[in-house]
Amino acid sequence: MAPLQKRTLLGLMITIPMSVALVAIFMIEGATKFNDDLGMRLLVYGVFIGGMLMYMLLLLILRRRRNKTQAFYDERDLSIARRAGRVQLLAVLVSLGVWSIALNEVYWEEGQIPIVFPYLIFMSSLIVSILAQSVGILVGYWRENANDRCC
Amino acid sequence: MTGAVRITNQIRRLRFEHNEMTQQELADRVGCTRQTIISLEAGKYVPSLSLAFNIARTFDVPLEQVFKCEGSENCDCC
Repeated sequence: MAPLQKRTLLGLMITIPMSVALVAIFMIEGATKFNDDLGMRLLVYGVFIGGMLMYMLLLLILRRRRNKTQAFYDERDLSIARRAGRVQLLAVLVSLGVWSIALNEVYWEEGQIPIVFPYLIFMSSLIVSILAQSVGILVGYWRENANDRCC
Repeated sequence: MTGAVRITNQIRRLRFEHNEMTQQELADRVGCTRQTIISLEAGKYVPSLSLAFNIARTFDVPLEQVFKCEGSENCDCC
């Protein structure tokens, strides 16, 4: 398995549980409670920042453990990562579109949205971006292995 | 006239002719990962010109002895 592939799997192993935890918190507590409930805010920030810190820490460990004479990534990995960037951009745009349509539909009558949603849009964009890039990279490796010839 | 172009290579054979050089040794010498060498040998990846030249230089042979173009009249051009 290529080092970039390992790193990507690691990213998914952290971001998927983190996303599920965040969605669960908002579904159980309700998104609008975020404004009033300090405990919920701390929990959300804790899960979000904790997940990101854990990901960075594991990346650091992975980098330190590898053999310094071996290349971490090369032109093949870069070409796969470049193609994954397109998936990432598309996924973020789609998620922003979904947010816009959903918020417009739900809060059309009120004419304004609760202040919590810009936070949620930011967090979801970041998570969608990481997830989509990881999925794009893994699919890139999978397609390369499945195809007779690639790139 | 165009047709499907297939780039084949002799990397596996050349490795064995060079003291049974391992894939990792070759990867370290040309500055890529072992997985890229595996993909190259399996014919699943076509390298950039610079990587192709690096591989040929490592084996001390001309580029055409490592890589061959097959399956198209275009291969014979230029």
